[in-house]
Amino acid sequence: MSATVATHHAGYVEGIRIIAARELGAYFDSSIAYVYTIAFVILANSIFMNEFFLTGTVDMTAFFDLMPLLMVLFIPAVTMRLWAEEKKTRTIELLLTLPIRTSQAVMGKYIAALGLFGLFLVGSLPIPIMLLVLGSPDLGLIISGYIGLLLLGGMFLGFGMFLSAISGDQIVAFVLSAIVGFAFVLSGQEQVVAVLDGLIPALSIGTVLYENFSVMPRYDSFVRGVIDIGSLTYFVLFIGLFLWLNVQLLERQRT
Amino acid sequence: MTDHQGATTATADPKRAAKEAPKDSGRTDQPVMIDAKDVTKRYGSTLAADRVSFEIRRGEIVGFLGPNGAGKSTVLKTISTWLPPTSGTVEVAGFDVQKDPLAVRQRLGYLPEHNAMYETMRVDRFLRFMGKVRGMSGEHLTKRTNWVVGKCQLEAVLGKRINQCSKGYRQRIGLAASLLHDPQVILLDEPTHGLDPLQVAAFRDFIRELRPNRAILFSSHILAEVMATCERLLIINLGKLLADTTVTELRAVADEKNISLEEAVLEIVRKGGKRT
Repeated sequence: MSATVATHHAGYVEGIRIIAARELGAYFDSSIAYVYTIAFVILANSIFMNEFFLTGTVDMTAFFDLMPLLMVLFIPAVTMRLWAEEKKTRTIELLLTLPIRTSQAVMGKYIAALGLFGLFLVGSLPIPIMLLVLGSPDLGLIISGYIGLLLLGGMFLGFGMFLSAISGDQIVAFVLSAIVGFAFVLSGQEQVVAVLDGLIPALSIGTVLYENFSVMPRYDSFVRGVIDIGSLTYFVLFIGLFLWLNVQLLERQRT
Repeated sequence: MTDHQGATTATADPKRAAKEAPKDSGRTDQPVMIDAKDVTKRYGSTLAADRVSFEIRRGEIVGFLGPNGAGKSTVLKTISTWLPPTSGTVEVAGFDVQKDPLAVRQRLGYLPEHNAMYETMRVDRFLRFMGKVRGMSGEHLTKRTNWVVGKCQLEAVLGKRINQCSKGYRQRIGLAASLLHDPQVILLDEPTHGLDPLQVAAFRDFIRELRPNRAILFSSHILAEVMATCERLLIINLGKLLADTTVTELRAVADEKNISLEEAVLEIVRKGGKRT
């Protein structure tokens, strides 16, 4: 589809690429990218090092265990502006009257946010490099953990961006996304599951949520080095769902 | 003031005005580029546009005149594909805005109300982005960019961020971005807003230069603005199209009643106001 370029109209993939490039540029123009990346690198590396000196083992499990809670705060900060800012400054009218499909705009923004998240992850690479220098860590385990983290971040970016479009306000979008993120993470905590199960024992809400909703069992399987189809499907379905909802919402908001 | 020839009857009657073919002197052989039929837009209980119909042909510059909140922007937003009309249809260059929005957008240059742009982007990068997203590239994009930059006199601000530019520059950046792809249909919502008199004069010359082979519709709430640039004008208030007339016709009405042109327009607006 992208091979044949008609006049005044970019191909589908090319359109996504152009939107993504602009969006990523906007992160750097407004220095958000630098501030967030530096903050993430300092936080992630220092917390890991603390753990590393305590346990003294050459693996990254401590790092990956820490990430979901850190993402609950970092990802909403990345996604909150994506649609809320366009709405506040009214540039959304400019963007969505260009000859692109709404899905191209959504995908472009998503990929830009994913790119910034990717930069965060690159900032954590000193950890595996250090481990490689100090000993012989299980590389498969580390790679599988990174894949899990990328999927977890990708899913958080998906609902973060959707909530930015729904709320139209950056602060509200941040708070909502953080709450949803917490729900996805906390529903995987043993204590939370136990408390929820205790509320109405017959329904065992906690277990139902843990098994069907929580991100933690899926993410943990990657961290443990198991890449199974069920977990992969979970992430892909949720990411697809949020992107689809985002397109539907924007189409409906044109009134 | 205009080079207009031969118009006959004044059209102060809104019902007739909306239905009649444009009387803009011998351009009826040109294809219809904007065809609005009974465009209605309802926001809750408010009728922002009420069965607005008109045709604009290639080679026409039409002024869309009305007080603030008359429904000008609403109608322009439906033509631009931004807002779907509650009922009625709009076709741009033969493409329906709802059924074929991409085809419409490719042919359309649109300067929205408030001229919102990506504030933190550099002017040159913003123009490149607007060109690329429209499928332009390489030499063609460079050539077109140089042309709009020259025409809109943007050389001095190309390396600046948009939020560092003055109001006059911003308006011209928006205009440049909307004309980059050489659109057949140009929609400008309050294009002279924030320009000084010299810039307004330059804008008029520029728009007249664009006229051949294009259909241009621009909105304003200032009669002098519209008269200086267009022959034909659409007068709208409270969502209703009150007149589809020419400056010459309006002048004839004004002379006949011995009132000024402004008063003639106000009379049309007031009449329309009573009916709603």
